[in-house]
Amino acid sequence: MKVDEFEFFLEKEWSDGFPVVTPTEARVRWMLGGTRRDPDEVVGHVPPAGEAATVRTVAIHALMAGCKPDYLPVVLGGIRIILREEFNMGGVQCTMHGVAPLMIVNGPYAEKIGLHGGNGCFGPGFRANATIGRAIRLMLLNLGGGISGRASATIFSSPIRYTACLTENMASSPWESLAVSRGYSPTDNVITCAMAENPRLHFDDVSTEPERLLTGIGDAMTAPGSWNMWFISDMVVAMSPQHAKLCASAGLTRTDVIGRLSKLAVRRQSSVKRGGNWRPERARAMGIDPDDDDAVVVAVKDPQRLHLIVAGGNGPITAVCHGWNETSRAVHGTYEV
Amino acid sequence: MTDDLGFIDPTAGGARAKIALAPRPMDLAGKVVGLLDNTKEQADIIFKTVAEVLRSRYGVARVVIRRKEAFSRPATEALLNEMAKEVQVAAAALGG
Repeated sequence: MKVDEFEFFLEKEWSDGFPVVTPTEARVRWMLGGTRRDPDEVVGHVPPAGEAATVRTVAIHALMAGCKPDYLPVVLGGIRIILREEFNMGGVQCTMHGVAPLMIVNGPYAEKIGLHGGNGCFGPGFRANATIGRAIRLMLLNLGGGISGRASATIFSSPIRYTACLTENMASSPWESLAVSRGYSPTDNVITCAMAENPRLHFDDVSTEPERLLTGIGDAMTAPGSWNMWFISDMVVAMSPQHAKLCASAGLTRTDVIGRLSKLAVRRQSSVKRGGNWRPERARAMGIDPDDDDAVVVAVKDPQRLHLIVAGGNGPITAVCHGWNETSRAVHGTYEV
Repeated sequence: MTDDLGFIDPTAGGARAKIALAPRPMDLAGKVVGLLDNTKEQADIIFKTVAEVLRSRYGVARVVIRRKEAFSRPATEALLNEMAKEVQVAAAALGG
């Protein structure tokens, strides 16, 4: 009986639910053409199951996800950085929460392979974004065992767990790239990863000056029930070029905007204790008297952990991605091309 | 290679080791029981209550309560080894 290769892989649970490019020896050799590294080199072990990600198994998953060989260096770089201890991928693989490692790729190689940071960059239609993020997810499933209902106790998971990879819209950004703002050279190829929820779209087609714009974005960053209010955690805010330019034209740098959002993304305790995950123990852990209704609860406890990027197409939206907890710290580093 | 079909097992054949569960004791009387607090809120309150019940109702000799570093991280090898040496039965539990 002839075996349908697509059905075969779906029945084995070796996919995210969509068909994969079937890995054959010939196709994997083609994918390995994207790197000069030794196929047997161990890149890391994927928690919690701990299976080895070798250059070869990474290539197999990149192939399955639909990558071109040119994308392989980004996938290799991405999985290496995601497996850093301080990022705590193992915790996220098992958590009830639904965050995913969001990859923000900066530098000339991202541009060369067509990573997209413009219109629709969080969504479908862009092969590099779709398949690089998918390759990471397939490894988290197949090598890490982070399967919902098994190792993963995730309650909802989230659409961002299918793929989570983009670049910035540098052609329309008024600022230097995120990587350059962290001290890298514009010629460096850099990946930043932060644990992120799905983007929450903040539409503001009214503000004509930064203070009103940032007040609204700040409010979106303080939603009761988000962990940012009670943990020192990461958050990603993606401003559309229009919103970023509104700030830049008033003389604000990226650092200025981060500083202002850190001041504006606050709520009185009376507002956050009406619902969500407020607890007296959590307030006390933040140095807040649980009985002081006027105490100010800040969403950005460490401005270094607010990752502000410029992405998306033209229009008046900023996307806010809440984060996870303090056991994960965003990571960034260069990767080899 | 899977089933001689020419497809590659993406897990590189890394069969996940199956670890058998430790035999369950039928009786806790006279035993030292370890409780691993995962650091979530109120786990300590639950554990103190459970420890009292284990002693008064099940005749447990002693209850050892240890605390992980963070609920989103595994307990350290050192902590697990320490508990393994000290207790005969251990339970991991969470608060909330």
